[in-house]
Amino acid sequence: MKKLFQSLLAKYMLIIILAISLVQIVYLILAIFIFGLSQGIDRPYTSDEADYDVIEEQWHKSAAQLEEVSVPEVQQLFEEWQEKYEDASMFWVNQDGDLMTQSDADREIPNEWTAFTVIAYPGNNDSNGFIVFEISRELFKTPVQIAYDRFGIILLIGTIVFIFLFIFLSFLFFRGIRKRLLQLQEAMEMRDVDGLPIHVEVKKQDEIGRLQHSFNRMVEELKESRLREQEEEQLRKELIANLSHDLRTPLTKLNAHTYEFAKTELPSAAKQSLTVMEKSIEDIDKLIENLMSYTLLMASKYKLDLQEIDVIRHTRESLATWYPVFEKEGFEIEVDLSGFKQSKWLVDPLWYGRILDNLLQNVLRHAASGKYVAVKTESTAQYDAILIMDKGKGMQGISDQKGSGIGLSIVDMMVKGMNLEWRIHSTDRGTVITLLRLKQKAGTDL
Amino acid sequence: MVRILYIEDEIEIGSWVTDYLKARGYEVIWLKSGEDLEEYTANIDLAIIDIMLPGLDGFSIGKRIKREAGDLPILMLSARTAVEDKIEGLGFADDYLTKPFHPEELAARVEVLLRRYQKNDTVLEIGHLKIDPKSMLIVDKITDKEILLTGKQFQLFQYFIRHLNQILTKEQLYEGVWGEAFMEGDKTLMVHIRYLREKIEENPARPAVIETIRGIGYRVKA
Repeated sequence: MKKLFQSLLAKYMLIIILAISLVQIVYLILAIFIFGLSQGIDRPYTSDEADYDVIEEQWHKSAAQLEEVSVPEVQQLFEEWQEKYEDASMFWVNQDGDLMTQSDADREIPNEWTAFTVIAYPGNNDSNGFIVFEISRELFKTPVQIAYDRFGIILLIGTIVFIFLFIFLSFLFFRGIRKRLLQLQEAMEMRDVDGLPIHVEVKKQDEIGRLQHSFNRMVEELKESRLREQEEEQLRKELIANLSHDLRTPLTKLNAHTYEFAKTELPSAAKQSLTVMEKSIEDIDKLIENLMSYTLLMASKYKLDLQEIDVIRHTRESLATWYPVFEKEGFEIEVDLSGFKQSKWLVDPLWYGRILDNLLQNVLRHAASGKYVAVKTESTAQYDAILIMDKGKGMQGISDQKGSGIGLSIVDMMVKGMNLEWRIHSTDRGTVITLLRLKQKAGTDL
Repeated sequence: MVRILYIEDEIEIGSWVTDYLKARGYEVIWLKSGEDLEEYTANIDLAIIDIMLPGLDGFSIGKRIKREAGDLPILMLSARTAVEDKIEGLGFADDYLTKPFHPEELAARVEVLLRRYQKNDTVLEIGHLKIDPKSMLIVDKITDKEILLTGKQFQLFQYFIRHLNQILTKEQLYEGVWGEAFMEGDKTLMVHIRYLREKIEENPARPAVIETIRGIGYRVKA
């Protein structure tokens, strides 16, 4: 029952019932009001006295009953009536048209005859002329009529006010609903720091209140599911990290032993084998790293944290760490980062560094024969680009050193993940990898 | 003698690294876990810590050491290569090297850290210069005279010495020495490097101490 009264439906029904019965209610109220008013009004004549038919009948009767039609007789009749109706006027006009007598009839003849008037022939004979009884109809009005005359305008205004009050109430009702729905919609669109909707405050326990409760429940469930997802992500990362750790530990031991072994006196063939082993250990290490990244990237569990960074500066710093490695391998290194007009790119610095690392690693491993690496910038109306060039045997010649595939797949996923583009142009005389950021149309950079 | 505290639970890796570092002339205290740490932290110059350890993990040990001895350089040496681990490690440690590693790389990084914290008192010889990294006394071997640098030149050269063998971009140098963000086109650094070269280079027209790495930056190689 309580629920029913909290319901919007109940309120709506109340308004509808109010609307339907409003006219009756207003009538009822007015009736009571006017009746109340009329109680305070004195009427000059009782309702019996104020009966027009009775007056007419009795006037005719009195006129007919006049035994002798003479001035004193008529005068007496008039006096008798005057006692009863002191506001009335009476007069006798004889056959010749002379005014014979009158009682309180010395008024002007109005333009419009509104007074109640009864004409009778004295002695029931028209040769005696006629007597007239005249009295203002105003005096015969009922108190209700009088009250209506006096307070009519107030009552009309009252009725209109009543109707407008009703319209206003229904307006308030619907506006209340609308406002709450809009607030709910707004609240639904608001996002917390975690990207989830926030709780809405429930003030009333009606249908909208229940909707808000449901919404809050949904937010709660979303939060829980997000938490579960994060836990799973954490578990997965943990698993991969542990796996990678467990693979690397024996690799480190292997590394230690080859290193120790290499220090002893060995025939050149054995030294050669050790070098191959060392290289392989390094390769396995990189492969594990790439495999882990690839798995995380494929599962979209590799966190992308886009920031506006100076890509030229970042590239230069990355090259600073790579330079000694290339130097050691006897590469000719050409760096020309003359900069772009707009060198701030929206990228994840870790991802961007990883892309450069993978590409430079590839140059080192697969294009070492060219002994050349160049990193340059290129700027056109359409794009800004970073070029990594080598003079190796090209991508076709890399089959003897597999493993670049996964590295390039990672580059591909990361480049696309950051809304950049990349192109590979490879011939047997070298490879050019272009990492580019398209400029926005009409020359408006980000 | 430089004393290195090394925490590693893998016997084979531990003994190998210990032997290697000892052969390089360091004194190494090798622990297999973070227990009884307090006995050693007081008089060591550097700590090398693995992460996956029985009991207390390397992160907790490293953080504790850094809390107790803020000026002790810490190098994390781990097979955990995830970015999150590196970030957590570098939150308190000074360097993070992943396994498998080349022992020479470890040695190089140890030296960089010792130099940065001025724990190393071996005199550096760079070209015709002799430099005491602790006092930053610079002596020209040819003339056997001390080279005196002005404030900013001194800071700049000291920055190079602390990042020996590392290529430094102009942004890194400017921000490291001046402590302000580098503005593209600012010539201040170039001017100071020119003055510095005039003082320390044998032939400032062909600089040998402060190398220019075209397109990238500068380097002082030991």
